[in-house]
Amino acid sequence: MSAKRSSINRPPTPDVDRDRENQEPTLQEIINIKMIESGEKERLKELLRERLIECGWRDEMKSLCRAYTRKKGRNNVTVDDLVHVITPKGRASVPDPVKAELLQRIRSFLASTAT
Amino acid sequence: MSLPNDDNMSAHSQLSSHFFEDLLDSIIVDVASECHRVARLGLDRNFEEEEEELRLSAQARARVADSSNNGETNSKYVVDIFGQTHPAVANEIFECMNCGRSIVAGRFAPHLEKCMGKGRKARLKVTRSATAAQNRYTRGSPGSSYSSYSNSTGMNRLSNGASSGVAGEEYSNGSFEEL
Repeated sequence: MSAKRSSINRPPTPDVDRDRENQEPTLQEIINIKMIESGEKERLKELLRERLIECGWRDEMKSLCRAYTRKKGRNNVTVDDLVHVITPKGRASVPDPVKAELLQRIRSFLASTAT
Repeated sequence: MSLPNDDNMSAHSQLSSHFFEDLLDSIIVDVASECHRVARLGLDRNFEEEEEELRLSAQARARVADSSNNGETNSKYVVDIFGQTHPAVANEIFECMNCGRSIVAGRFAPHLEKCMGKGRKARLKVTRSATAAQNRYTRGSPGSSYSSYSNSTGMNRLSNGASSGVAGEEYSNGSFEEL
């Protein structure tokens, strides 16, 4: 019994060796945590959501979903399907002023907290 | 936008874009999730009709584009949203309650102008009964003033029979009898 047996019921605890990958959290991760902890991420998300509703983006996405649903059949759609349906168009059709506003906010957050 | 003038700036921009994408993806998932819910629960009341509506609106658009040039010259055959056509002049025939003549509906308003006294010429004819109506209204009951409106050219419809002549004739000193 020289080999260690890992427990059946839970994932193995990461070895000290494997920890090397995770050792330094990236800048991205640090900032992400700061953003979440300070509540800024939530505020930014609400702001983006509001702007996207105002400009009709959300309605466009909903109509894409409805069209897809009609084709596929109401009970055959999955959330995953719908995400794949709207992601390309969704990313491309965010109005420039909205994107600019959000980027501006994010950048000032970075400037105020990051290195 | 400001130009990135050092590495720090462009790293920041990249980072910003990354976070923006992150937020956007999150919102996309929210929208997809809600649409999924609506679809599975059958909450979209217009679901069945939408295709039909799209088809019909495309049809209507085609029709408008088609006949928009003919609209002015061909106004008799323009179709409204219920699919009805309307002739340029409404052609039902009514009896004028004032003078009793048969008038085409489309000519009714101008007829009433002359008949009831809005126009200049009509007003001259009606002077007597107009002033009579005024006098009667200030003195008598409202019921009697009604009958004065109903004659302009002398056709008398008084129901109380108090005076058989033109209403209100020579009555400035209150000699009118009411029943």
